[in-house]
Amino acid sequence: MDLARPDRSARLDALAAAYALGTLGPGPRRRLAELAQRDPVVAAAIRRWEWRLAALTAGIPGITPPSRVWERIRTRLGLADSAAAPSRGSWWANLALWRGLALAGFAIAFALGISLLAPRGEQPFESVVVVLAGPDAKPALIATAERGSRFLTVKAVGDVAIARDRSLELWMLPDGRPPQSLGLIPASGVDRVALRAPAGVTLQNIPALAVSLEPAGGSTTGAPTGPVLYTGRVERTY
Amino acid sequence: MADADTDKSAHLAHLLARTALADQAAFAALYQLTAPHLYGVALRILREPALAEDLLQEAFVNIWHHAGTYAAEKAKPRTWLASIVRNRCLDQLRRREPDTLTMTRNEDEAEMEFEALGPTPEELLLSGADAHSVRGCIEGLEGAQKQAIALAFVRGMSHAELALHLREPLGTVKSWVRRGLERLRKCLEAAGFVP
Repeated sequence: MDLARPDRSARLDALAAAYALGTLGPGPRRRLAELAQRDPVVAAAIRRWEWRLAALTAGIPGITPPSRVWERIRTRLGLADSAAAPSRGSWWANLALWRGLALAGFAIAFALGISLLAPRGEQPFESVVVVLAGPDAKPALIATAERGSRFLTVKAVGDVAIARDRSLELWMLPDGRPPQSLGLIPASGVDRVALRAPAGVTLQNIPALAVSLEPAGGSTTGAPTGPVLYTGRVERTY
Repeated sequence: MADADTDKSAHLAHLLARTALADQAAFAALYQLTAPHLYGVALRILREPALAEDLLQEAFVNIWHHAGTYAAEKAKPRTWLASIVRNRCLDQLRRREPDTLTMTRNEDEAEMEFEALGPTPEELLLSGADAHSVRGCIEGLEGAQKQAIALAFVRGMSHAELALHLREPLGTVKSWVRRGLERLRKCLEAAGFVP
């Protein structure tokens, strides 16, 4: 469909408005964004609506973010140490530390699993641990979440090197059904992946996770398109 | 007020231009001046501090790399920055939500708590409408249209989420939003607000 044709302009304007407002579902949103990259008429229609609406964000009260946000930005970009908070260095780049933690992670999960078998009155600590490894069985990424949490924390613990124009995408592998994307994950450092329900619910019937290599920005087909680099079993420590 | 706004915009535009030239001090100043507002926007939509922090970080890394493209835009710097942050938030929200919405909404209590913290989405929308014409146009919307647009804009709700939240059929909600936006556009154009 050529949305840029004059007779389509009303339809384009409605789509651009819904895009800028944010009400378009994931599929149409992605398709319109892709169209806008190729077609300046579509891009302009979206931009006009963004401007109309973005002026309205002015009323949303500001909240000062924690200082660690600026620290992370500074570290990511390799900026000089300014007058801001003192540098803590890129501690997450320390692979030895993470390898150690990976092993500790196994031990902790094991210990928790065991200790929870013992009867106790209080609410048990419940969590999910997934160690993602390649064919060489070396841990590359570790994903953890508390059962009630709405995000997975993903830490790169191995030498995960990918080209600049590639992204890593995390997938749930439900039994007998196609993989479902959980979103993009970093090749280094620590990141959080948003879940649409608490981890205990989202990962309830998911025996394993996998990571595939995708074009920058992730798979656009809804299924993995590149090679699967790492897989790991979902371990529940409850 | 208008002059102060213009001054602020000019200052931010200057900082963006310096950032495009890899001026680290300008970038730091830009962050200091705009991060609280942008974090507030992200937090309203994502509703989880850790996610909003990560998003803000990604947005500023992106701004550092692409500040140069601002010159080509005709929007105010604040508008440009806010649309970068809103878009990233919306992309993230939509990514974690499948096309067919099956989420269970037992978060209503948490939602109400969150709302109790401050003004409603509609109040926020109106308080943001600093330009007289924009405020008038929003106030002119019908109740249901206004509520749907406010929830979508301030909270980042999709059509499906709006339908669930407002307990109305999807088609009804879609048409409220569509007609509300159409009316908003006509009103803004009539008032001479040309983005």
